[in-house]
Amino acid sequence: MNDLFLIYKNLTRKKLRLFLTSFAIFIAFLIFGAVSALKGSLDSGIEMSADNRLVVVHKINFTVSLPYAYVNKVKQIEGVKDVTHANWFGGYYQEPSNQIVALAVDPASYFDVYSELIIAPQQKAQWLKNQTGMLIGERLAKVYGWKVGDRIPISSNIFSHNDGGHTWDFVVDGIFSAEEVQTDTGYLVFHYKYFKETQTFGGDNVGWLVLTTKSSSINEKVAKAIDKEFANSQAETETSTEKAFNKAFLEQLGNIGLIIFSVVFMAFFTILVVVGNTMVLAVRERTNEIAVLKTLGFTSMRIFKMILAESLLLAFLGGLTGLGVSYIVIKGVSEQLARFLPNMVLTTDIVLQALFYMLALGLISGIIPAVNALRLNIVSAFNRG
Amino acid sequence: MGTILSQTIAVIIMNIRSLPRRIWMSAAMVLASAVVVAILLAFLAMAKGFETTLESAGSDDLAIFLRDGSSAELNSVISKEQVSLIETAPGIVKDSEGSLLSAELYVIVDGIKKSSQTEANIPLRGIDQRGITMRKGFQLTKGRMFATGTNEIIVGNGIIREFDGFDLGQEIHFGKNTWTIVGIFSTGGNVFESELWADVKVIQNFYRRGSSVQTIRARIESIDSIESIKAFIKNEARLNLEVQTESDYFSTQSKSLNYMAIFGKVISSIMALGALAGALNTMYTSVADRSKEIATLRIIGFSNISAFFGTLFEALTLSAFGGLLGAFIAFLIFDGMNASTLGGNFTQVVFSFKFSNDLLVQGILMALLIGLISGVFPAWRAARMPVLLAFSNQH
Repeated sequence: MNDLFLIYKNLTRKKLRLFLTSFAIFIAFLIFGAVSALKGSLDSGIEMSADNRLVVVHKINFTVSLPYAYVNKVKQIEGVKDVTHANWFGGYYQEPSNQIVALAVDPASYFDVYSELIIAPQQKAQWLKNQTGMLIGERLAKVYGWKVGDRIPISSNIFSHNDGGHTWDFVVDGIFSAEEVQTDTGYLVFHYKYFKETQTFGGDNVGWLVLTTKSSSINEKVAKAIDKEFANSQAETETSTEKAFNKAFLEQLGNIGLIIFSVVFMAFFTILVVVGNTMVLAVRERTNEIAVLKTLGFTSMRIFKMILAESLLLAFLGGLTGLGVSYIVIKGVSEQLARFLPNMVLTTDIVLQALFYMLALGLISGIIPAVNALRLNIVSAFNRG
Repeated sequence: MGTILSQTIAVIIMNIRSLPRRIWMSAAMVLASAVVVAILLAFLAMAKGFETTLESAGSDDLAIFLRDGSSAELNSVISKEQVSLIETAPGIVKDSEGSLLSAELYVIVDGIKKSSQTEANIPLRGIDQRGITMRKGFQLTKGRMFATGTNEIIVGNGIIREFDGFDLGQEIHFGKNTWTIVGIFSTGGNVFESELWADVKVIQNFYRRGSSVQTIRARIESIDSIESIKAFIKNEARLNLEVQTESDYFSTQSKSLNYMAIFGKVISSIMALGALAGALNTMYTSVADRSKEIATLRIIGFSNISAFFGTLFEALTLSAFGGLLGAFIAFLIFDGMNASTLGGNFTQVVFSFKFSNDLLVQGILMALLIGLISGVFPAWRAARMPVLLAFSNQH
């Protein structure tokens, strides 16, 4: 008789149990896939940061602005390639609860520094000419259904327009996307000059500077040179890599992130333990049969392999469907949450990890009964039954 | 009827006493429902703790004025002229020094978080003595109050818990400015404890704010005064402000972690489905294990109702035990756990996870639901088990 057929028969002997066990595994891997993708989305700022990009902020805190003159001073520092700057606008659309990340930037240099962003050359050229224009990210455009040419009012919860209100009118000149799906495009940029000329207070200040170095190996040297340049001035600076800056920002969201993910992953492993336990017991019930197989002349090794193959099959059956469904769920949820979160993606990394855990589940839950079967003494087994 | 009841009780006792025979399968079910409940409670306790920290900060007898559209203290700006105008507003309590107003500044500084050793935003509030007396539950736990016009600072208890470098007597630097910590205060666990307080005039000077402030708090005569103040603002073109009670303001802010509770409910419900599959496995195994016993009872005259309830009760016992275990573990690990996150003002809100009886009830209900569903189907099988088949079946 074919071994595969025997494995199949063993696996499906109790259809309900097979269904229930693989369903539990399915749920475990569904959650694993979805939660890992969520974590990846939250961490995308760190993962997607460029190696040679530095962020310069005020030493007191990044919400305190810097003098505009710093832009040109930083440009002079050795090792600096491109410099741009941005101001936090505190934007919202129609209702204060519809918060929008809107930045007043230097149009000429912004896309040099963020070179991974893709914008059609004619759209960019149009924007450079049009001081009341803005470029919006693909994700933001999708959330609100905005198209090139639309006139959109964006309000600020910080600044006042010199016409008396808090609302600025912008024309969408273009929509930018990014090379990688994980890179966030949920924001918009507009002309710093327009911002400066129309808002009622603030003067010649920029929120923060972003620059690229000629090579990531000189990051530290450049960062030190910048901070030294402004030491003992009225506005001291703190320069860090984009990665470190984004990481520190995420840390601000706090240990609650850590707590959530550790809780969920602990639960994932507990479910695996519970399921593994069930699988071990299911094979133990068959001690008699294994003794019969041995009597019939099946070698211990052959039975060992069969039991292991069965548990692996079960682990992958539930696990792969779980992972497959998580792929669909992630796609749907990612669109639903586009307003709040960067794209969620089931990356190769997550898939590989999941495959590893499936393998581990199958091996660990199979190895105990398999070894038992290997050692099983025929006579004592029949006596027991 | 009496016999059915006594039969059922007898079967329930028998089932429970035979549990050790199925110890591993039973343990799996207990563990599965414990995990679901522990997860649910962890998330709910987090959302609850955050909400309590913010909501308990708000008073009904305080009005808070913000610049129109700014929605948080951080974004608001109010000029000296506007403060003077508000002093003449109706409905505000007055004493010998005039209207009970507190004009405050709210700026952000960096602190080093203990948990991650990274910089995080802390609010530095500029306030005066009048403003401090308006805070309910304010108490200096160590040291003394800052002296007006000096660079002295007092630090909230929450900051002490979550951040390094804020010990009494220590000097701290924010940019080029140096401050001396002269006191530590408590406001009974609410969000004000996540702040640093110093003299408003000194901060205006250090941060080049001129004579402008960011928010005004005012003691109002009654909650209805809000309407008359609103009318007053509407009729005065120079006042582009919004006013609300402080409790309304914080109640809006306290909802910002509600997504955690929703996330927790979604995750634990999906996980409950997995746990349910495990629990059904356990209960079907239990019925199979007791098939001879059930058949024997049927032959000596026990009704199938007793078989049904015996199994159902076993499932409920296991899941309730799991639920209690999960709640207990979650309580041990999470109750009072300190956490901090970014609040609506872009600054750290320090809060503690908080359990309540209401959460416990939700957890136990979840566990019982798992027990009920995982018990009903196997119990049905037990009740309908054909007697002869049970004896011939050697599983």
